[in-house]
Amino acid sequence: MDHIGLFPLFYFPDIGSAWLMGITGTIHILASHTSVGAAMLFAFLAHKAYREDRPELYEYMKKYGMFLLIFSYVIGSITGPGIWYTATAASPRGISALIHNFVWVWATEWVFFVYEVIGVFALVYFIGKIDRKTHLKLTYTFALASVGTLMLIIGIISFMMWPGTDAFYVTGSASDAFFGLNTFPHMFLRIGFMIMMSGVIGMVISSALPDRELRFELTRKMGLVSMLGGFLTLFFFMWYISTLPESAEVLLDLYLPDIIATRIGLMVAFSLYFAVAVFVPRLINQPLASVMVAVVLVVGLWPGEKLRESLRKPYVAGRYIYSNQIISRDVPGKGIKSEVEQLAQVGFLGASPWIPDRLRTITPENRLEVGHLLTKRACSNCHSLEKGGKFRPLMDKVAGWDAATIKTFMQTSLATGAIPYMPKIALPEAEFDAMAAWIATQNH
Amino acid sequence: MDAATLNLLRDPAGVPFYPVVFQALYVLTFALHAAFVLLSLGSMGLSLFGATRQGRDPHWKILTPHLIQTGKLSVSILIVLGVAPLLFTQVIYDPNWYVTNALSGVWVFAFIYLLILGYLTYYWYYYANKKGSSSNVLVGTVSFLLLVFAGVLMHNFAVESIQPDQWMQWYAPQGVVDTSGTNFHIQPIRLAFLVSLAIPVVGIFLQNYSQFLSTRNDFSKEYLGFVSSMGTKFASIGLIISAVLYAFWTLEAGVLLHPLSLATVAGVVVLLLLAIKNSNSYITTGVLVVVALLISSVREYIKYQIMIDVGYNIYDYPMNIDWPSVIMFLLTFVFLGFTGVAFITTMAWNVGKTQGVFDAQNHTATRRLASVTLWILVAWCLFYFAWGMMVLFKNVLG
Ligand code: HEC
Repeated sequence: MDHIGLFPLFYFPDIGSAWLMGITGTIHILASHTSVGAAMLFAFLAHKAYREDRPELYEYMKKYGMFLLIFSYVIGSITGPGIWYTATAASPRGISALIHNFVWVWATEWVFFVYEVIGVFALVYFIGKIDRKTHLKLTYTFALASVGTLMLIIGIISFMMWPGTDAFYVTGSASDAFFGLNTFPHMFLRIGFMIMMSGVIGMVISSALPDRELRFELTRKMGLVSMLGGFLTLFFFMWYISTLPESAEVLLDLYLPDIIATRIGLMVAFSLYFAVAVFVPRLINQPLASVMVAVVLVVGLWPGEKLRESLRKPYVAGRYIYSNQIISRDVPGKGIKSEVEQLAQVGFLGASPWIPDRLRTITPENRLEVGHLLTKRACSNCHSLEKGGKFRPLMDKVAGWDAATIKTFMQTSLATGAIPYMPKIALPEAEFDAMAAWIATQNH
Repeated sequence: MDAATLNLLRDPAGVPFYPVVFQALYVLTFALHAAFVLLSLGSMGLSLFGATRQGRDPHWKILTPHLIQTGKLSVSILIVLGVAPLLFTQVIYDPNWYVTNALSGVWVFAFIYLLILGYLTYYWYYYANKKGSSSNVLVGTVSFLLLVFAGVLMHNFAVESIQPDQWMQWYAPQGVVDTSGTNFHIQPIRLAFLVSLAIPVVGIFLQNYSQFLSTRNDFSKEYLGFVSSMGTKFASIGLIISAVLYAFWTLEAGVLLHPLSLATVAGVVVLLLLAIKNSNSYITTGVLVVVALLISSVREYIKYQIMIDVGYNIYDYPMNIDWPSVIMFLLTFVFLGFTGVAFITTMAWNVGKTQGVFDAQNHTATRRLASVTLWILVAWCLFYFAWGMMVLFKNVLG
């Protein structure tokens, strides 16, 4: 049989299904990083409150905690599985690869997650209802469990970029996949960001405290915490970048000029903001602090996530599955075989179990319909197909090209795998013909 | 779908452990998840009724906020518990899981945001009710409907996934491919049965509630009697309704006379007797857990059998056992999972029983559990880094 284990396609116009996932991912990063950061911050505050006997700090923790329950736990705990869920629809084989390699890691993370979720309710609602020493211990365990969830997920998302060495391909072992070259830099990068976010959100709460003195003290502290976090983020970012694969560097060169200006702007703005919090805390009020959270989300995280999605190209996971769901290489450790050559022979029409019979053979009547379907299959994971679409719009890339030019491009660049950030897509000539014909009808 | 294709849709990496273990974990975690789904559904629904009564009736004035709080906690817990069965099912039932998600991709995406919106509105309901605002019933109803719809979507995914013979037809009706991911299909009887269970679950919860608080002297006997007899009514009438729907559902699925199914029926009868008698609701709850596991097993059995009939057997899934990660999970699950959950539930139990501050330093069990949990976590982190470094040294330097 010629089939490859492909799944039905799900495609969301203009935005592309991959970005649907990106949207959920961005929101999740804000919520989850805040919650882990806050867990560490709580450990610090609870320690201080206990040692120095400062009941007002418990009040602050309670307020912060109530806010977190809604902001981080409702949103974070739903978007977390949400990313994975949306990814399943957008990139089934990519997620399946991760699941089948790391199901036990995820299951372990789930244990932490259960502890974290019941722990946060106990932490917030039992302030004043249990003795402080036990509460302090609870806070410590909560912080460790929260960081634990990061320690577990980080190896998986780092593997999506790449394992960094060849060990995994040979052994097929989850630990070789999990502890790759960029796992640790990535982890510390995120811890830095979490610390920063705990301060940024902490200011939203502290700036509205009724007691002036406490308000200034805590805002100042949150400013310092954010500064520390921001510094760690930058520092580990450098290390992280140096552990990326070569193809990512090509892409980075491509994208960096566009984003570098906003990144520097962000850095300056936030350094100023944190400095104000530390030196003139009375200038920080709740509206300003809330706006800064939104700035992090929209100007900081969204472009950052888009970049991360791009840097992984042409792969979606472990540098063995392309974004368009085709397995690109052998993984002897798991008995996995490359599908690129098979696809070149039978094409998507022969390989996909999901082609209706009337479209299996190309005829003059169905040529455009087949071309459309094939283009969706081969390209829509990385390009939206509508003219003026938002997600690396394909029609804008080939604007003005006629069918012959498009076909030549596909045969010379894609079929040979000459472009490092696009998959090697070799298909029978008839399929390229149909795709080129359809694309040409759309691009002007 | 033919057997060859279905088997091709399994992940080429194989499964990292015996499929039956994933199946068992699925049945277990689904039952836990469902228990909290039903509890939240029941307590939310009943709280809405209470919200219309609490102005005139002093009993409802106490009970309503407690039901709202119960609903709030249950939603959080059902979410965390819900992740696990999704994880385990997709390891062994790839075709079902991934095909369904693609066929209903838009709903998958919408599900997340509906759930967030529903839960946020629920917090709004909670605060509105606390403040005595008159919008509480309206806000609560909106939240309730959003959350129920999210549940219906989940049901949709589940029933789509067990109809492999329909997939191609849904994906390409009349041979025209539809990639919009808007498929939506429900099975009313199965849905009605699962939803109906919310009534007995909230009934047994009310019995527990009144038994638990009976040791505290700040709740009147009269009030607790009111709650407990309402609980009995809900439990008994609810169980009868559910039993009828259960019969229809299993008849439709052709498993009514399967031993698992008969065991479930026997469990329900025991449950009914215990609930009516209401002498110790904690024992009733124990039986409820068993029945929940049985229903979860019947549900899984239906799916398993459907897939066997089309030539897909999860037990034949090629294996690539990955011992290190299996061991990590088992150790974490057993040590951290049990100790950690025991710590927090013991603490919560005692806080609930105590008027004023619960001093856990004088309560050996809680004090020890707190320390042990902390040490397990510290040890866990140390192992993690040690393991990570070893792997990296081996792969980078070796
Ligand atoms: C794995 C993801 C991926 C897939 C699949 C993919 N592309 Fe691309 N493509 C990219 C990236 C990344 C770029 C770089 C430009 C950008 O990001 O805007 C790009 C750029 C292009 C360009 C502009 C020329 C260039 O070299 O920058 C064309 C034309 C193009 N793609 C056509 C296609 C066609 C046709 C298909 C399907 C047969 C396809 N791509 C599939 C990722 C992909």
